[in-house]
Amino acid sequence: MNAANSSQWLQPAFNDPVLDAQTSFRSALKALAEPGLAQPLNRALALENLHPATYALCLAFLDGDTPLWLAPCFDTPAIRANLAFHCGCPIVDERELALFALLDDSQLSDLSDFENGSERYPDQSCTLLVQLDALSTGEVLRWRGPGIKDVRCVELPLPAVFWQQRQARSAFPRGLDAFFAAGEQVIGLPRSTHVLLKAEEAA
Amino acid sequence: MNAQSQITRAPEAGYNFAYLDEQTKRMIRRGLLKAVAVPGYQVPFGGREMPLPYGWGTGGMQLTAAILGADDVLKVIDQGADDTTNAVSIRRFFARTAGVKTTTRTPEATVIQTRHRIPETPLSGDQIMVYQVPIPEPLRFIEPSETETRTMHALEDYGVMHVKLYEDIATFGHIATSYAYPVTVDERYVMDPSPIPKFDNPKLHMSPALMLFGAGREKRLYAVPPFTRVVSLDFEDHPFEIQRWDECCAFCGSQDSYLDELIVDDAGTKRFVCSDTDYCMQRRDLEEEGAR
Repeated sequence: MNAANSSQWLQPAFNDPVLDAQTSFRSALKALAEPGLAQPLNRALALENLHPATYALCLAFLDGDTPLWLAPCFDTPAIRANLAFHCGCPIVDERELALFALLDDSQLSDLSDFENGSERYPDQSCTLLVQLDALSTGEVLRWRGPGIKDVRCVELPLPAVFWQQRQARSAFPRGLDAFFAAGEQVIGLPRSTHVLLKAEEAA
Repeated sequence: MNAQSQITRAPEAGYNFAYLDEQTKRMIRRGLLKAVAVPGYQVPFGGREMPLPYGWGTGGMQLTAAILGADDVLKVIDQGADDTTNAVSIRRFFARTAGVKTTTRTPEATVIQTRHRIPETPLSGDQIMVYQVPIPEPLRFIEPSETETRTMHALEDYGVMHVKLYEDIATFGHIATSYAYPVTVDERYVMDPSPIPKFDNPKLHMSPALMLFGAGREKRLYAVPPFTRVVSLDFEDHPFEIQRWDECCAFCGSQDSYLDELIVDDAGTKRFVCSDTDYCMQRRDLEEEGAR
């Protein structure tokens, strides 16, 4: 695909770029500040196989300063053209360079190359935008940490290997932050959240 | 004072919503996500020049501009008061550039920008506090080098903070630090809670509201998510204590709010009044209703 004939793929983004971006950001901020609580995120339309919530996260946070890594299933001409037009974010092939990564559930078994920050600059880490089919059909896990009063039960449909990968990549303050989007909802999972796995609870 | 609340005007033409451009807002918003994910860690951000000098709340204003939406109700306080120059001008700034509703009443506000106080009225989970911070680095007065303090944070090397508090005890017999009293956030980062009196420190602990801190000159932002453990540093034999007064507020009679000392005549007669003007006003309104 070249830039000259990519306009056929373009679709409208936010109706109101200023206020819709602000509303989407506030939902994302609340999702991350209160991990595990689903927040509404409905200001964008679906773009091909990107759900409204996933696309709204992209539109709210991506711009020329944020290299993006695209999972193969999202690497389509339409998604590339719209992200290039509405966000202007560089799309990178190397996971190490990405500040944001757009993933689907087939990519969760390997998070090894995404940047998880350094001890001095833990903020220079990749944020994972993960699109799922639903946010509440998985195994019930207990989350605790900042933003959660006691314990919150969350049933994200995630494979066990994701939790192993997350564990392997986290050494607080280093770690990966994730948003899980499905339909018009988002759930945040910051690195500060401790997820009690079944094996740990038994121990 | 109530007359100036609830003013809604169309935003001034020629400015983007809430003054800052969208690119800057996105940069600050991405920084805020990282600040929330690593509670107490100072995230560097590309601070912009604001139309008022450093030290007047440029950091807080940039955060407010980045989070503010059309439906928000903004309250701005300066040392607890809604009617001081700093509070009035910042409130007017956002009323003019964003056209948002403003209020002086704590329960009605969704975003509260503050300089040096946390309201006495308990906060709720739907509110966001934005603090103006002059010097975000709690270790700065001990270690002037940024590379050194960054390493100290990375290594969780906070012994010097206790040495500083111990020096207070050695000199005065008690911990004399009364504002900007250092805290540990979620058992990891030592954080400057901004120059709030230590009286307000316990309100940070497990607060239902999200707390955001912005330093404009130093270009740092940090956050305390809701329901996060925030512990003031102390010693076993010198536990953390907050200020107490023998007097009560001369206006509303409150015995458990933070009091300002006023000298009312040439003979040096002292009176004490609530520093939180809205809290004081609410109590007086209640009293009047009760008397009627």
